[in-house]
Amino acid sequence: MSPEKIRLNTEWLCDCGGCHVSLVDLHEKILNVLESVQIQKCPVLTDEKGYPEAEIGILTGSIRTEHDRHAAIEMRKKCKTIIAFGTCAVYGGLHGAGLAHSREEIMDHVYLNSPTTRTNFIPATEVDGLEKLVTPIDEVIEVDLYLPGCPPHAHFIFEGLSALIEGTAPRVRQESVCGGCNRTMKKSDVTEIKNSADAVADDDICFLSQGFLCLGSVTLDRCLSPCPNHGIMCTGCAGPTMQILTEPNRDIRTEVSERMARLTEIPSEVIRKSMEQSAKTHYAYAMATKMIGDKPTFLIRKWIAEVEAS
Amino acid sequence: MLEMTIREKGCRGCRMCIDVCPTACFDFDEKEQKAVVAKVENCIACLSCAYICPSQVISHANIHHVKNFYRNIYFSRRMEKFL
Repeated sequence: MSPEKIRLNTEWLCDCGGCHVSLVDLHEKILNVLESVQIQKCPVLTDEKGYPEAEIGILTGSIRTEHDRHAAIEMRKKCKTIIAFGTCAVYGGLHGAGLAHSREEIMDHVYLNSPTTRTNFIPATEVDGLEKLVTPIDEVIEVDLYLPGCPPHAHFIFEGLSALIEGTAPRVRQESVCGGCNRTMKKSDVTEIKNSADAVADDDICFLSQGFLCLGSVTLDRCLSPCPNHGIMCTGCAGPTMQILTEPNRDIRTEVSERMARLTEIPSEVIRKSMEQSAKTHYAYAMATKMIGDKPTFLIRKWIAEVEAS
Repeated sequence: MLEMTIREKGCRGCRMCIDVCPTACFDFDEKEQKAVVAKVENCIACLSCAYICPSQVISHANIHHVKNFYRNIYFSRRMEKFL
């Protein structure tokens, strides 16, 4: 290893592994990164079980098991800069929707009553202990850089790493997914919310204009908007926009319903109520973070407290 | 002097900024189907357009920042660390 290279550790907590795969999406650019970076620990590349000293530590995934917590704390001890990489690390991620169920319900469903396996006992030693809640890593350790995205697009990974390594300002905008979408927003006379299973959307017109719930306008663009540009409504995987996070009275459902009501004939109250009925879907990616969970209108932590008190 | 810009490529042509602006700063370019800043001298920096814009592509510079009555402190402490 050349001494002037920047040492990099990565560690994989509770997530799908897509964030580690997204590093490979740098394609040829990964060669530029490797010119100045020495990868020491990376679960998919190296056989390093310990936590060597490093300048940069990339943590993907949230904290759901006792091992996740241990790994995050060890990474913090050994790495000068910690990047919370991906939506799970930053906001808790998709499995934050697990907060709608108790630990016992989850264990029972996976190990005792799974419709696809025949196991009939809960393992005591073979798997790590499941923690009570899903926790974004910044509630356990100090984080130096947040990079949401599910996974973050290679453009943002490269900008983030270049900024850290070369000390340059990253060329990124804090816009929403709509900023990169090619659809046109038009006012329409649509009166009902549509489901993608019931109707086919026009390819050139905004989903909201057509009555489909799309979270593009409330989601930070860390993806370059591939879904709406390929006929799929945005599900909010990179987490909420900066204005939703900074303003306590702004929320995913209120922002979408206000904009959609302006584009269609559907009253905002109807849209908001529809989103509330499927809140576990619309809030899944950012449900576990206090940035959303502590909003006065967000009740899941109250439900948890009530269940615990009973 | 106050500046207001729309990142043109990000504009989806929804006209919401035109609808909410209390001082009629915007025009609509029918050919391009995009909003344009027409009378920046009218702008009172209420930021209504910046908040309603679905793409978040309207930005203001050289404005008087009003202190926020309400803020999510938990996030605001972390905001500068967000890429």
